[in-house]
Amino acid sequence: MFRSTSLRLAGLYTTVFALAVVALGAITLFSTRHALSEQFDARIRAESAALVQEYRSEGLKGVVDAVHERDHTPGSLDFGLQGPSGEPLAGRLATTRAAMGWSLLRRGGQAREEPVRLFAVALPDGYKLLVGDDEERIEALDGTVLRGFGMAFIGVVILGVAGGYALSGDVHRRLAAITGTAEAIIDGDLARRVPVRGSDDDLDRLALTFNRMLDRIAALMESLRQVSNDIAHDLRTPLTRLRQKLEAGLAAPPERGPALEGALADLDSILDTFAALLRIAQIEGGARRAAFRPCDLASVARTVTEAFAPSAEEMHRALSLAAETGVIVDGDAELLTQMLVNLVENALRHAGPNTRIAVEVARRGRAATLLVTDNGPGVPEAERERLFDRFYRLERSRSTPGSGLGLALVAAVARLHGAEVELLDARPGLQARVTFPEAA
Amino acid sequence: MKLLIVEDDREAASYLKRALSEAGHAVDYAAAGRDGLLLAAGEPYDVIILDRMLPEIDGLAILRTIRASGVKTPVLLLTALGGIDDRVEGLEAGGDDYLVKPFAFAELLARVNALARRPPTQELRTELAVADLKLNLLKRTVTRGGRRIELQPREFQLLEYLLRHAGRVVTRTMLLESVWDFHFDPKTNIVETHMSRLRGKVDRGHGCELIHTVRGAGYILREPD
Repeated sequence: MFRSTSLRLAGLYTTVFALAVVALGAITLFSTRHALSEQFDARIRAESAALVQEYRSEGLKGVVDAVHERDHTPGSLDFGLQGPSGEPLAGRLATTRAAMGWSLLRRGGQAREEPVRLFAVALPDGYKLLVGDDEERIEALDGTVLRGFGMAFIGVVILGVAGGYALSGDVHRRLAAITGTAEAIIDGDLARRVPVRGSDDDLDRLALTFNRMLDRIAALMESLRQVSNDIAHDLRTPLTRLRQKLEAGLAAPPERGPALEGALADLDSILDTFAALLRIAQIEGGARRAAFRPCDLASVARTVTEAFAPSAEEMHRALSLAAETGVIVDGDAELLTQMLVNLVENALRHAGPNTRIAVEVARRGRAATLLVTDNGPGVPEAERERLFDRFYRLERSRSTPGSGLGLALVAAVARLHGAEVELLDARPGLQARVTFPEAA
Repeated sequence: MKLLIVEDDREAASYLKRALSEAGHAVDYAAAGRDGLLLAAGEPYDVIILDRMLPEIDGLAILRTIRASGVKTPVLLLTALGGIDDRVEGLEAGGDDYLVKPFAFAELLARVNALARRPPTQELRTELAVADLKLNLLKRTVTRGGRRIELQPREFQLLEYLLRHAGRVVTRTMLLESVWDFHFDPKTNIVETHMSRLRGKVDRGHGCELIHTVRGAGYILREPD
């Protein structure tokens, strides 16, 4: 679930949205702050201008009265009037020291300091007027804005995570249905289809397209099967008759015997090739996967090496087996046996006399491997991969019997089991290595 | 033996009929599934040879029907389909053996002979014997003329199969299928080499041979004449 694309997208989307809320909060905070301080400054400037005017018209007495009066009005600004040598004359800021013009002052000295925005202006005759305003109101506003946006931020995150989880859960389930179907098909259940909701959204359309593709594959597989069956029936029937006639002919005039025997052998080799092709086609159809069972590779290897031991000895090849016990793979025992038979026969046929052929079954980590190694002449690297192609044969092997389908069948069986088959240089000789997927 | 062939290809069927008759069997023949079904259900046959792909009624359907009606006659299925599943399907439907077309007549004949029921006493035996060769199924021992013969497990199985079919030809393919469980045709002479080892142990040094090669067909283990 946490590795799902939809959940990652929802997470990313929530993060971006939350960041946008933070940015919006910051911009709002700074612009309200800016507007407010401008407004405050304008008020300070207006008040000081009024008092300067008062001094000009009414003299010092008028200003002192005006300051006193304002001091007693609630919500008014703070004022201070100082004499030419700095002596305090009137107002709450009378003792405050400040340079001319704007400044920021920390006032209090007790438990909490209050920042004060201060404007000092010179009156004629050396008097000095200070006008100040509490910054606290601006800070209180900051708090309100921050709280508001904080709530909005938390809300966005909760909604984003919850919504993303719900949404991605749904998408995840639908994607999981597609994955499940694909896996069932790989396992050979060609009849499976992805469930469609009928909502005609993009995932539904994907499911429909996927199902159409599966229909097409199923139709192709069916026609392949049909063709195989037709070939099997329509070609094998006349071949059966031909074989019977040759057999019957063999019984009659003795002087024709060798020719008929030769014809019969040729026919049987055609039929062998034909059977091998049909078998490869059938294996590649993948239907066998439904019949997979746990198979003991060591026991398969033992049966095969034991079956081939006397023949190998007769051909002057030393066939040996080294098998770890308990190497189990999920597969089709009959096909695995045939695969190993083909690998061993390939080695017997091409390694040459007085060679060693070693069959090994081993576990590497959790993966099972099957090795068939000979110390014969080997195969040039460029040609090794091509040996798995149907009907591909090395130049030097063209005169020896064999259909050129043995290794193609090995490749088909390996593919069916999800195993990897490689031909390697055994220095000298050839090593066939089949690596099975790790057991679940 | 009394045999029934159900096969839609008349030419192939008439060849089989002639050849089986020459081999001393009484042969009935049905070209269509319906006739085959009637004959199989009504007449006592020793072996039925049934083609799998028939027009109208499928061979497997006939097989299931006659099995359902209690007919236990051994059935040899003939088929042009060589797939593994096809074989398993055929055997599950109640077939006793399975032969892929085209086949050598000797193969068919050997399998028909092998399928024919033997006297029921054989099932209970713990010892198989031909002449002075004795195989004990419980102790897994083999003696010839009282002398113990040491056999590899696979050689023992091979000899057991030959003894169970004593007096009848067994083919290379029959041995591959029943002794090694190989349902494909290896290109190597593994049956021949195992057989020659077995013969070396069983027959060498004894006056008369029990295991014989039948040219173009297979092997036979039989009482000396």
